[in-house]
Amino acid sequence: MAANWFSAPAPVTRRVRGYFAPVNRAAQTPMLFDPSQQGRFPLDAPPAPWISLGWTQAFTRKSASKMSPVLTGIPAAALEQVRETLEAQVNVQFLSWTKLTMALATGSQHMNVLAPASGAIAAAMGAQATSAVTLQSGSTASSILLATADAAKFTAGSIVALDVDYTGQTGFVGSPVSGAYVRQALTDVDYIRRVTFNVGLVSAVTSTGLTLAEPLIGGVPAAGAKLQAVIGFVDREGGCFCQEWSALFLMEGSQGERIFYFYPRLQSMAGAEEKIAPLDGKNQNGQSRVQLMGQFTALPVTDPLDGERVVCYRSFLPAANALV
Amino acid sequence: MQNAKDSFYMALRTRLATINPERTVLLRGAVRPGILVEEAEAPFSQLPNDVFILRWQGLGVDMDLCATMAAEECEIVYQTCGTQSFGGLDRGRALSEMDEELIAMLSPFYTPKLNYADTPPAAMLTQVFWDEPALTPIAVQRDLLSRSAKMMVYSYQEQGE
Repeated sequence: MAANWFSAPAPVTRRVRGYFAPVNRAAQTPMLFDPSQQGRFPLDAPPAPWISLGWTQAFTRKSASKMSPVLTGIPAAALEQVRETLEAQVNVQFLSWTKLTMALATGSQHMNVLAPASGAIAAAMGAQATSAVTLQSGSTASSILLATADAAKFTAGSIVALDVDYTGQTGFVGSPVSGAYVRQALTDVDYIRRVTFNVGLVSAVTSTGLTLAEPLIGGVPAAGAKLQAVIGFVDREGGCFCQEWSALFLMEGSQGERIFYFYPRLQSMAGAEEKIAPLDGKNQNGQSRVQLMGQFTALPVTDPLDGERVVCYRSFLPAANALV
Repeated sequence: MQNAKDSFYMALRTRLATINPERTVLLRGAVRPGILVEEAEAPFSQLPNDVFILRWQGLGVDMDLCATMAAEECEIVYQTCGTQSFGGLDRGRALSEMDEELIAMLSPFYTPKLNYADTPPAAMLTQVFWDEPALTPIAVQRDLLSRSAKMMVYSYQEQGE
């Protein structure tokens, strides 16, 4: 009788996939990843609200936790060990420049450059913006309903930002993804739309509104949300806001086995930095790819299972029929 | 190792039939997707045009693992003169089309291993996998354009193989 199992060598993988999900900053609630229910998702269709950032490069993780011995006796010898510090770091290079990868690869707020109003005074983060237009009720994450006159202001290929007006509040702003922390009241009514992650590319315009190429990260626009055109993105070296996201890295082995690294809370730990990578061996001094570098420190959560404080979960789903 | 070679070829053949159903070859009285294994056909005096031809070349094994891993080097050769209706002036486009089909055939970079000695083919326990192809420059011989791509095809030896 033929064996119906095999002894699997160490996994062979090609690349690492990256997925991120927003942390509720106000409630300090990270996003969960459950390997028992979500571990076999198609690579291009992660479970909501995880967002695929595609393949990544140079993924490295390092435990910076320190163990110390408890010494007793003469001469002193280790009786046991205690965990003195709990810390881990993750480095990864992103292979695309998007709103999210740029934000992850900066140590501060990441801003949308709103289309400027005519004659506005120049500003490093973008001049005073054109007036926002109001959404009609019934909008969804990928279909934005507008008055006919407002829809006519946009064309396919436009980038738009959707969120509520800033009305003087302090604390985390941006819904449901916090884009910034406001320490003192500001005067810019468009501030939340400058930091919001609800940004999308318009794929079609009709008399009733806009169709987006991809659904908004934040899902259905909040009540009272308004829309403005975006022409690009900007971030700064400096500031006191740290991006914080839940992260999931996946290595899929050649036999279908999967290794997950789930970091419930990852915070940017360095300012914006890029790696200039030659396209190939012939282009050492010519054409180069500019890759965003993400550098993160993992923050702890308390596992409700046993009350332990942890920073990362590593899950392994073996290949079918592999000995374990 | 034969099972891995068969599985790799059959995966590419099945994918090609989807990618471009019109790329076919008449072999031994049967119309098949336009991809064949050179060592499994009568020797060619001249390679057929507009068909992918698989050649198995180098072989390496890693016996230090809990399951022996075989790495078999595969070369896929293809050539074209373009079409008669365009007097061969479309041979560059025809080769580009084959380049694109080859790249598409190779993804995803794995396929289940089957034993094609059985009828119907029996599913085995592991998967065959391979790396990115290394493509050569175009070779020009009068009006004939050709190219080849090499890749390593990996598999684990299972009990009974």
